Amino acid sequence: MRYPFSKKLETIPPSGIRRFFDLVLTSEDVISLGVGEPDFVTPWQIREAAIFALEKGYTSYTSNQGLPELRLAICDYVKERFGVQYHRDHETMVTVGVSEGVDITLRALLNPGDEVILPEPTYVCYDPLVKLAGGRVISVDTSKSGFIPDPKAIEKAITPKTKAIILCSPNNPTGRVIPKSILLKISKLALKHDIWVISDEVYAEILFKGKYTSFAALPHMKERTILLSGLSKAWAMTGWRIGYICAPEEVISRALKIHQYAILCAPIASQMAAIEALRHARKPIKQMAHSYLQRRDLFVDSLNDIGLDTFTPEGAFYCFPSIQKTGLSSEEFAIQLLEKERLAVVPGSVFGKGGEGYIRCCYASEIGELKEALKRFKRFLL
Amino acid sequence: MNKLEQEILALLKTNARIASSDIARLVKSDEKAVNKIISKLEKSGIIVKYATIINDEKTPEFKDTVRALIEVQVQPQKNTGFDAIAKRICNYDNVVDHYLISGRYDFLIIVEGSSLQDISQFVSEKLAPIDHVKSTTTHFMMKKYKQDGMIFENTSELSRLAVSA
Repeated sequence: MRYPFSKKLETIPPSGIRRFFDLVLTSEDVISLGVGEPDFVTPWQIREAAIFALEKGYTSYTSNQGLPELRLAICDYVKERFGVQYHRDHETMVTVGVSEGVDITLRALLNPGDEVILPEPTYVCYDPLVKLAGGRVISVDTSKSGFIPDPKAIEKAITPKTKAIILCSPNNPTGRVIPKSILLKISKLALKHDIWVISDEVYAEILFKGKYTSFAALPHMKERTILLSGLSKAWAMTGWRIGYICAPEEVISRALKIHQYAILCAPIASQMAAIEALRHARKPIKQMAHSYLQRRDLFVDSLNDIGLDTFTPEGAFYCFPSIQKTGLSSEEFAIQLLEKERLAVVPGSVFGKGGEGYIRCCYASEIGELKEALKRFKRFLL
Repeated sequence: MNKLEQEILALLKTNARIASSDIARLVKSDEKAVNKIISKLEKSGIIVKYATIINDEKTPEFKDTVRALIEVQVQPQKNTGFDAIAKRICNYDNVVDHYLISGRYDFLIIVEGSSLQDISQFVSEKLAPIDHVKSTTTHFMMKKYKQDGMIFENTSELSRLAVSA
């Protein structure tokens, strides 16, 4: 074998997060603000539903698309919360987390050389998955426009090869929420240039002000939006791996083709738990979201007090302090912070263009721990 | 109660020792205002006291403590109903909780003592002879699993991935 491995894969660098993760693992006594998940355990009623399902002997495959009852629960939920009606059988499917949704959506859409516009900094999976699907990433730096994508910059990036744009709002890593007025402008561009909008809305329920606007709810957008979401964040169900796609039938049918060969179906006990979550566990998600709001206020205000300039995020459970004053790169900052103070954060540079000069802190931690982290930050900055 | 008061109360309920300065940050208010609200809640009797939830089983003295749940049937009195009788019962220091409930019996009280005999003695010499107490049923507590929303079981520390996207 002259070259035994995928050449396409070789062009993708290993995840910056992974590298940092290994470093954190070898240090002791670390307080980590580098996590990407809630600090809550899944509400008991949801766990109980999964246990009950197992007791009843639900251990088989489900339909590739996901349990019809779960798809109906998803459609009802999306209709009720975001005002968009999807068809249970033709326009919805259950995925193994949103990550799978991103992957199969991109593989369903892209031909070699197709361009995908990616406002960055953003979650780390989009860029490599576009490349693995044969596409080209056209990054648009949002740091100059307060981490909200600038429609003018997006329009500049559009070429005849542009197939799609990926939005993630509330955003990981910044916690920013794209205002409706900007979403509307982006929707007009999508219409004008005939491009798909892949909208990752997994943090929609963790919103601190106002009402969430789903991209699919904008005029004429349902037919060109691929709405990706899941239960990981709002319901504190990261380990269950349940996500979903709501999209036009022609997208679902194609994504499903990949899903049925690669995945077969999402785990049945997780699907049963998700039905309980969507149907009967709205109160716990509100309580959890409120607790993130309180901790955001405590943490972000305190960061500003100790001299780390941090804008106030409108959603998710991350904040994105600027470390430019220190003169260090975000990776140097994160490594020194870990070595000197045993405090882990994620360097902004791993989130793509515009992330350099910032660090991502997750404040979904117990208050005592957040206060200890602030103490360590303060000492580090002296 | 307004929303801010409710929010402060909820924070104190889960952690009575939380600093006012932290509360102020969590609810986006200032420390002075928070302190003012807390003293108002104290004065109005909404906040009764700041107690600690203790897992007695872990204390060396636990073997010397016995707890019982006692169902008490009483004959309510004209004009004062259950209240006058209740007052006579709950004034005993070893009565740690006392509720009027619906159903087969009237009062549910929780009593602490140093031994089975200690509690039996309380029931036969103090509680049962009270006028209008018709009957008592004593259940000794064997294990406490949860109190005031806190589960006492030893849960292993679950750890999240230290760094993830």
